[in-house]
Amino acid sequence: MTDYVHGLGFAALAGSLIIAVAFLVALPLGALAASGPPSLDTALRFACDLVSSLPTLFVAAVLWAWAGRSLSYVCALGALRGLQQAWLLRCELVRLEDEESSASGPPGHHSSRPAFSRRRLRAALGPLLVSASFGVAWLTALDAGLTQAGLRPAAALPTWGIVLGARPLDPLATVLAASSVVALTVLLQRVFRQQRAI
Amino acid sequence: MLGLALTLTAASAGMLWAVVTYGAHRPAVQQSPFAALPLFFNAHPTGVRELAAADVQHIARGGRAAAAATLDLARLGGAALPYVLPALDSLEPQSRERVALALTPVAVRMGVASADELRDGAQSVLFWTRFWQDRAIDFRVAVVRHLTARLAERSLALRREDLIHVDTLAMPALIEALGKVRNEADIARVQRLSSVLSHVTELPERPLPIADVAAAQRAADTWRDFWAVHGSEYVALDGPRRLAATFVETRYGKWLAAVLRGGLGRTSNGESALSLIQRGFVTTACLLLIGLGGGFTLGVVWSRFERSRTACVPRSASLLTGTALAAIPCATLVSVLADRGAGLGTAACLVMFATAGWVSRHLARSKLTARPRSSLTAAFSVSAPLGATYPPIVLSAIVLVELGFRLPGVGRSAALALASGDVNAWMAASLTLALVTLVLRQAADLVRPRAAPHAASRR
Repeated sequence: MTDYVHGLGFAALAGSLIIAVAFLVALPLGALAASGPPSLDTALRFACDLVSSLPTLFVAAVLWAWAGRSLSYVCALGALRGLQQAWLLRCELVRLEDEESSASGPPGHHSSRPAFSRRRLRAALGPLLVSASFGVAWLTALDAGLTQAGLRPAAALPTWGIVLGARPLDPLATVLAASSVVALTVLLQRVFRQQRAI
Repeated sequence: MLGLALTLTAASAGMLWAVVTYGAHRPAVQQSPFAALPLFFNAHPTGVRELAAADVQHIARGGRAAAAATLDLARLGGAALPYVLPALDSLEPQSRERVALALTPVAVRMGVASADELRDGAQSVLFWTRFWQDRAIDFRVAVVRHLTARLAERSLALRREDLIHVDTLAMPALIEALGKVRNEADIARVQRLSSVLSHVTELPERPLPIADVAAAQRAADTWRDFWAVHGSEYVALDGPRRLAATFVETRYGKWLAAVLRGGLGRTSNGESALSLIQRGFVTTACLLLIGLGGGFTLGVVWSRFERSRTACVPRSASLLTGTALAAIPCATLVSVLADRGAGLGTAACLVMFATAGWVSRHLARSKLTARPRSSLTAAFSVSAPLGATYPPIVLSAIVLVELGFRLPGVGRSAALALASGDVNAWMAASLTLALVTLVLRQAADLVRPRAAPHAASRR
């Protein structure tokens, strides 16, 4: 039970931090890549390709070993997730621009108008918010994977990842942790729900 | 293609940094034989000239450091003589005698003098001075190559002795002459060359079984591995070679050299990294195919179903199921619950359902601003951004599943290699995963070209 409570604290704090850092990175980068100079677009794509070229599990293992402290690890993970989300936002903005231009005229017709840009940005936030709502779940899944692979630092904080990744599993703690992850994710999705689904 | 190659090159540098960094922070991880080398750039590569000069200095000064330097000079052997013997005259008489005496083990190994003959310092100096006057001409690369080629061609006691007389100076040519092993003639050649190599390095010689090509190949590989670790200590780094050594004598350079030798290098078990990948790729490809194909299709159908429901209960149930599948590391739970009963089929289903859950959540929140179109077109349109994030997520799920179910896939191989510090296995497995991810992302760009960065000029 103590592990569960510690895990809850870690999930809430680390999840919030990851979402905050990721948004801080993703929003300006994604918006700039979609509407700024093409070189920025290419640079973001290259950075995203590099970050995504390795399954996140391994990136997390190395970052945790490298950062040492859990806070630095969470911030670094948030920054990496921010890069991926920046590309997601950029792709969504480009898609919406395509949709608008095919519906109402030549490309770029509306792109200079701030009102249209703001509206498009709001519309593009949907997938980004879905992705962000999985922050806690993503962190816990990584943690469980690292525990199972034996890649987790021994001195790291007790989290739900240990509960879900340890063998043998404690049935009660596992069910509690798993349902808590789902509950937190659904809660985040509710909080982030601002748009109408298609 | 150029972009892909550039990204892979940059990714390979990042992956090497990753395995080195991970190993440096985990004491349990085995140390690489190249641990002393810098990662990407060696500002001061060290060759036999620098090592020999340092040893001579320490021996000449005497004291504690001299004992270690004496051992090191004996190890460097004939390769160090072209730099040590001409420098004898520049030393003070006492220092000169110390250095000459330190070379006694080398003379004994070369079979040019006995330990008794070189017991006295003055006598030893005289011997080495005369030796260099008589034999300096033999210590040339062209001569050594010729001697090695003769031994590789045919076995004669005299040919072997000729090479032993130049000692470790012959090592680069001997290693090069090992060549490929295909038949009995090659086995005999490897046997002859290994015998000389064992003698000059004072490493134990293992007799090779007759007509065992694999054993001879292993013996040749062992010598090449030895050379990869210690090669620069027996070679002078001059001119272009010194420039090249700033890259070659790094951990990245050593890994690249192992890859270029063939088979993507060898793992710590002695197995070719390429065969490790070939073995695991079938499992990973199967999971990837089902995860990508099945997961995406199921996700689209799922989101269509969810949108068509007007009642609150089925919508909430769908949301909960999708979130649960995407959020919980189901592999760890199912693998424990199913114990040994679960296999590749269960794992593939898990990957498919987890990715379908993730895709359906994404599609449910995407927005179409254009006029209404067919459901397939709409789903295809809103899923375009997924091309960027979908493959890495599926691959991460696959790694988790492979670990949970102990499947022999590339992801599990990468995880085990990272945990054990096996650089070649890690690089091969992680680069395979990176290549798959990048190819899938490029494919997503081809399917929808306007989403690619080069289409930014549209603005």
